[in-house]
Amino acid sequence: MLKVIACFKWVIDEADIRVDAPNRKLLLDRAAFKISPYDRNAVEEAMRLQEQHGASVTAVTVAPASAKNCLKDVLSRGPDRAVFVNDPSFADLEPARTTGLLAAAIGSSVEFDLILCGEGSSDLYTQQVGPALAEKLGIACATYVNKLTYVEGENRVIAERKLEEGIEVVSVPLPGLITVLPDINTPRIPSLKQVLGAAKKPVEQLTPERLGSMPAERLKTMGVVAATMERKRLRFGAGAEDIRSVVDALLKEGAIG
Amino acid sequence: MAGIWVFAEGAEHTLELLCAGRKVAEQLGVQPVAFAPDEVLARRYLAHGAREVFVLPGLAPDQGLEAYVPVLAQAAAQEEPDVILIGATQRGKEMAARLSARLDTGLCSNCTGFEVDAGSGRLVMERLMYGGAGVQRVVCTTRPQMATIAARAFEPAPAGEDDAKGTIRPLSAAPSSPVKVLHRTPAARGSVDVTEAKIVVCVGRGIEKKEDVKLARDLADALGGELACSRPVAEELRWLPEEVYLGISGKKIKPQLYVGVGVSGQIQHVTGIRDSRVILAINKDENAPIFEAADYGIVGDLYQVVPILIDELKKTLKH
Repeated sequence: MLKVIACFKWVIDEADIRVDAPNRKLLLDRAAFKISPYDRNAVEEAMRLQEQHGASVTAVTVAPASAKNCLKDVLSRGPDRAVFVNDPSFADLEPARTTGLLAAAIGSSVEFDLILCGEGSSDLYTQQVGPALAEKLGIACATYVNKLTYVEGENRVIAERKLEEGIEVVSVPLPGLITVLPDINTPRIPSLKQVLGAAKKPVEQLTPERLGSMPAERLKTMGVVAATMERKRLRFGAGAEDIRSVVDALLKEGAIG
Repeated sequence: MAGIWVFAEGAEHTLELLCAGRKVAEQLGVQPVAFAPDEVLARRYLAHGAREVFVLPGLAPDQGLEAYVPVLAQAAAQEEPDVILIGATQRGKEMAARLSARLDTGLCSNCTGFEVDAGSGRLVMERLMYGGAGVQRVVCTTRPQMATIAARAFEPAPAGEDDAKGTIRPLSAAPSSPVKVLHRTPAARGSVDVTEAKIVVCVGRGIEKKEDVKLARDLADALGGELACSRPVAEELRWLPEEVYLGISGKKIKPQLYVGVGVSGQIQHVTGIRDSRVILAINKDENAPIFEAADYGIVGDLYQVVPILIDELKKTLKH
């Protein structure tokens, strides 16, 4: 049976971030968390492989111990079980540490043929963890995939990569890793039955002590400030008079004409 | 030999990284080193300030550029560069991530700028996070320090005054790769490049049906500009080709005027347009975040506003 891992990240919902502009500070205290959107595509693709080929699906995440709501959320989307690599210190991990922890957890506790990741997370969007994880596990990988086909009996997948220069179709031997683009599928909304069933699914807890490793920090964050933009922020109505004023202003600025 | 290494898919992108690399190299007192696919380009990079160029042997037909990762990793392990800058194309980003994993070092993805801390020799690098709402400053605590840098983030390195000095060294061929390329289909090139346009009109989800894209196109025509869109309009609705969607994961533009038509202004989108000189937004929701990013905001139904705007422009611009 094909064994699939879908990696996911529990991230701050950037739509909830407020900005204290005078102090260039980001206010994160009221922000809710969510499964990073592209990771939902990875989970959905894993479920599609389950439906077509009877694959087993394990969802794996690295998160602070406090993020346990992520488990019910991800399991309601279909995976058979979850692996929760957690520690109170796992907030704002840099990508090399996330990669190292995922590699240690998967290497020690999860059998797999295929790992699926989103193209990047919506918080840091470094787009590193998928390909770096493949390298740490010593497996083949293909990134930016928008169509995936498992070739039964040949132990490989055919992946269509959508790149700047066009489509590249590659054959990836298993075990392998694929990072998916958002247009590979449309994640389904979990049904009530799935939401209720999620709490009963098995979750394996892994801590740095159990893994016996804690990857060192390679990239140190010196600070985060709000991105600022100098804009006039002038408002106009929808009447012809107002619109004419806007056109005049654009002319005066040399933006048109 | 220590040095600042630059690697990118295209020659222009390589010259831009070479420009960034030369600045770092001067401050750290080391040499800039580039990678080229052939000797002709190698000599060009030498003429633009590289002091050494590695030439990568050709790939087998079923190999992608990513097949060079083991070659780069081996060269880096031998030569111990101080810094490796890689062009942030899709392939470049995958290669950088895999290389950083092999070399066990830190990587700043999509670095938008940096300063050299002379005392420590460390690059203090900036990048965007939270879809562009935040600016993160990072340093790499290990060597080599690595970063990926998008095209056009720097000017191309100018040609040096004296003749090309420096050495050209061939690298060993890429080993056979487990991933085999079966087929390539070049992207159907649209005739427009939105990153070059002086005026860009952007279609957002406020446009209700595909036929209504014409309204935005008419506005673009009246302005003498090009048409672009937000990510869902290209990827979910497929009303416009994917090479014209703007945002942190799409095209980043720097036009003299951006006009958002029914664009809500999610931060991921705004990040792609933040360098526009003037931003005009049309949206019926007065609380749409695009108005916070705009110089001029017209609060109103785009189906009423755009025809009036086109009329006014035609009256004004024909003189």
